[in-house]
Parts: sequence; structure tokens; C-alpha cells
Amino acid sequence: MEKWRLLIHGARDAFTNMAIDEALLISGKPTIRFYKWKPSAISIGYFQGIEEEVNLAECKKHGVDVVRRISGGGAVFHDEKGEITYSLIAPEEMLPENVLESCDKICSSIAHGLGYLGVNAKFAPLNDIVAGGKKISGSAQTRRYGNVLQHGTILLDLNAELMFSLLNVSAKKIEDKGIDKASKRVTCLREEVGEVTEEKLIKALVRGFEDGFGMKLAEGRMDGTETSRIDKLREKYESREWNFKR
Amino acid sequence: MKAGNGILKGELKVKGGKLVKCSLSVKNGAIEHIKFTGDFFMYPEEKIEELEKMLEGVECTEEDIKERIAPFFDSVELMGASMEDFIAVVSMAIAALNKS
Repeated sequence: MEKWRLLIHGARDAFTNMAIDEALLISGKPTIRFYKWKPSAISIGYFQGIEEEVNLAECKKHGVDVVRRISGGGAVFHDEKGEITYSLIAPEEMLPENVLESCDKICSSIAHGLGYLGVNAKFAPLNDIVAGGKKISGSAQTRRYGNVLQHGTILLDLNAELMFSLLNVSAKKIEDKGIDKASKRVTCLREEVGEVTEEKLIKALVRGFEDGFGMKLAEGRMDGTETSRIDKLREKYESREWNFKR
Repeated sequence: MKAGNGILKGELKVKGGKLVKCSLSVKNGAIEHIKFTGDFFMYPEEKIEELEKMLEGVECTEEDIKERIAPFFDSVELMGASMEDFIAVVSMAIAALNKS
């Protein structure tokens, strides 16, 4: 059976986290990485306007970092205490050529993994996983250097009030949803199945990926080439030029 | 707003939930600068800057814009939005100009 690398990384700051994901994308070794964000942070999609999406004053007040991703999609609040982020890295030929199909494969593996925790979750195109009709996970994919990087958040707990005070949720985005509060469309593991530890969640997701991809994950480390790229990439992710380019 | 000059914005919610927005400045009836923002996906991502550059100096009519950007969309893959959405959002923004 094919072997993939498992990286369990704990908490780092937003800029380092995005630098590591890009360093792994450059190398392209088949990898699943789990990590957290400390301090809490908002990541915005490649195409998003930082000031349009994020209440920067409120972020500053709460000590929340803001970083632009290399992947498209929407803004995500990575609560230090309430989520696990995953990333999947692999050469393009190891995944469906079609982006949506590959997103389906990855998200369905995660949904399957959440099943081990008793959550009835499924992929909701384009890039979400829902449980009971509410979003519990959101992902974004990019392809560069002949490799695929998909990263996304899985909510353990939800501080909706804080989340929506940090994000400027567009009135247009929710106008046809028939509900006035975007927070009613989001759920978390605590709401679905009660308290779940990070370790338990990671274990379930590991099984989900192994089943979904027919591979085996073995815990490993970043290699020297990957590690050597982190500092330079981190500088980019921390720069005003990058974060405020839109 | 003075006829033919100003900052214009368009915002479009695509079926399925993604947003495409644009903000553009107009000088003498032509696009001076334009930026597209939103939570859509485009591959490769950096190509968006090419699209924005390509639209500089184009007359603010739907036909001119369409003609200029149509070939660009052969070179990218879009998810969560279409070429028509990009054209529509620019048209929405310049409609305000034509009214003034």
C-alpha cells in the first residue's frame, strides 16, 4: 500500500503556517499535515480584498493576525481554541485532474473521517463539508509546480460572535439564504457530537484519508530542503505588499 | 461624478454562493485601473493580474470589454464563477457611469 507522510505540527503563527504549506507544495511529497494557529488568525483567499473582508481594527483589538493565502476561496477564522487545519499535498497525477473532482475526493475523505466521530457529514460543492445542512469545514485548493495543495479548516468549537465581528460578511453573500444571520449556517463538532479532543479528531481524519485514498500515513518530519525554504516564504506572508495587494 | 471620470464598483453574487466584485477607476471614458476581488477560484491565480492589466485603457462599453477579455479566459480555469460573471460585474460598474 502506498505510504504518505503525516505531519502533526501543533500551533504556529499565521505567516509560518502559510510558509510551511507553500514549502510543502514546492516539494510535492505526498503529505497530510495537521496544524493550529497561534495567535488566532484570519486567512483570506488569494483574490479577496483584505479591507473588504476583514475588520482590521477588531482583529488588532483581539490580537488576531491576518494573512493572504496562495489559494482562492473565502476568508476563514482560525480560532486558536476552536479548529484544526489540515493540508494535503501531492503531485497532480496522484489526484483527479479536474479540480472539483479532486476537491470532492479530499473532502469526502474528511467527511468519512468525521463519520468515525459520529458526525454525518458530506462534501458540499464547491469547497465545503456540511453536517446537518450546516458548514463544518471549508477548503481551498491551489496547483503549482506540478503539485496540488488543498488546505482547510475543521471546526471543533465555534465562537460565532467573535468570528463575525472579525469578518465583514457581505450582505450580498447571504441575501438569498433566507436567514438573517450567517452564523446560523455554520456548525462545529461540539454542537454535533459534543466535546472532541484534537487528538481524537486527528485520529479520525487520518483514518478518513487512509480509507479515502487507499494509503497508509506514517508520521514524519519536513526534510532539510523544505525547512530551508520556510524563512524566505514567511517573509512574503508577513509582508504588507503581499497581504494588502488586494 | 464628472462624466467619464470616477471610481466605480460592481458586485455580483454568483449562483452557488461565490462573490465576484470589481473596483475600477475611469479616465476620459476608458478604464484606468481595475481590480477584481472575491472568493472564487482561478487557476493559475496570478493570471488575474494579467487580466487587470489587459483591461487598462479599454473603452467603458460592454462590447469593448467583452472583446478584450474573452481570449484571456481560454488560459485559465475558473471555479465558482464564469467569464460571463466577470463581464457582468464590469458592466454593472460602468452602468453607473453611463447613467451619470
